[in-house]
Amino acid sequence: MKAKTVKPRVMTGNGAAAYAAMLCRPEVVASYPITPQTEVVEQLSAFKADGVLDAEMVEVEGENSAMNIVCAASIAGARVFTATSSYGLVYMYDTLLQTAGFRAPVVMVNVNRETPGIQAVSAGQQDMISTRDSGWIQIIVENDQEIIDQIIMAYRIAEDFNIQLPIMVNYDGYYLSYLAEAVQIPDQTDVDAFLAPLKKQPQRPRLVPGEARGCGTHGMEMGYVEARYKHCMALDRVKNHVDKIDKEFGEYFGRSYGGQIEEYKCADADIVIVASGSAAGTARTVIDSKRAEGLKVGLVKLRLFRPFPEERLAQALKGKKAIGVIDRSVSFGWKTGPMCTEIKSLCSKIGPVPILSYIDGLANLDINIPHIGRVIDEVAVAAKGKPYQEVTWIPMEEER
Amino acid sequence: MVIKHKNIFETESCWSNADKQMLCLDTGGWRTERPVLDQTKCNYCGLCCLYCPPQCMLDKGDHYEANLAFCKGCGICAHECPRGALTMVPEGEFGNEG
Repeated sequence: MKAKTVKPRVMTGNGAAAYAAMLCRPEVVASYPITPQTEVVEQLSAFKADGVLDAEMVEVEGENSAMNIVCAASIAGARVFTATSSYGLVYMYDTLLQTAGFRAPVVMVNVNRETPGIQAVSAGQQDMISTRDSGWIQIIVENDQEIIDQIIMAYRIAEDFNIQLPIMVNYDGYYLSYLAEAVQIPDQTDVDAFLAPLKKQPQRPRLVPGEARGCGTHGMEMGYVEARYKHCMALDRVKNHVDKIDKEFGEYFGRSYGGQIEEYKCADADIVIVASGSAAGTARTVIDSKRAEGLKVGLVKLRLFRPFPEERLAQALKGKKAIGVIDRSVSFGWKTGPMCTEIKSLCSKIGPVPILSYIDGLANLDINIPHIGRVIDEVAVAAKGKPYQEVTWIPMEEER
Repeated sequence: MVIKHKNIFETESCWSNADKQMLCLDTGGWRTERPVLDQTKCNYCGLCCLYCPPQCMLDKGDHYEANLAFCKGCGICAHECPRGALTMVPEGEFGNEG
């Protein structure tokens, strides 16, 4: 570890996100407040007022403008930051696609919340899921410390000359946004040093007044196909790059998260549970107690969702007798949850083992210890070749 | 997969330099009628040029003329001309001249 030891401080997930963003020295910040993300904007505004954040803060009338501004600033060469959630994310949907198409390396925090239709002011990953095909990198974190560390890593991923893609760092609204935990805020000099390799890379193209060039305006026919192909290839490169940066971060700061996925007690496991976000922390506790009972169960924490970590997952899940996937969102038009649907697409690599889908934790309901215990027990039964229920909406099977 | 395509963009992202290369939208091919100028009525006011959506009006010194490679035949110039100097004429009347 090269980083200076710092005294832990207690702060919320939102506060942690704001601190991390400040430490990365963004030059332009445009963000519109929305529950449960508001504190991020408040804190960044406070940093600006206190003179510790040297960024152009643009007051916007909505998220659509916020994304347009950070996208444009990014194309002009600036380092940018924004944050949103749910309604805000969908209100910027067109500009979200545009930013990805322009390959603008915007770093955005998305505080996961349920989406419009039902006026849900509550946690859920539906917002992130609804933008999975927007061409952004999407990564999900588990706790306040990981929020800080992943935001810092996000700049190394998005702004890398071989990547040049926007990245969305997701964390559970309510569970993490308002949860106060002890975190280590890295020293500014260490963050500067960690981000310094970006300065040695070739300069990405940028808008220069007076120079006759532009981005995204000439995507006709094969121009369009070529741009899309390059975009998909860049997303494919993101997978190994996430692992590389995570390793480098670990060497520098002494904390790492497994990169694309974290495998917890998977090596000798017969069955594996897949979870993401704050639920992964709870799942780890349940894995430990089931292990104490003699059940060989492991956990895969899905961190990278787009691009989908196909190779790493196949490696981790190959040879397992059954798999249970916990989704905090639904896939309209599919029976199984979105992450489960995608894990099922690995069948040609991992074999036709039972893959059980669990929908839980929608609308602020807890993905709690008994729920995860039940998932493990049912997956263990399925692993013995016994009949199983393909999809289970856990809260719908409970009497309240 | 064997890639036979030769890259159009020099950059990883879809940047293009207008001085070197542009992938132009062939809006001229959309045209079903074109603006024809009666130069005796034109006083070179430039309103047609200001209103032209693809900005294809060429300054000819004493009048403006649509660049037919881009003019999509929308007719806004003829509509806006206060002196009625522009008339939209169906493409069929020009044969295959372009």
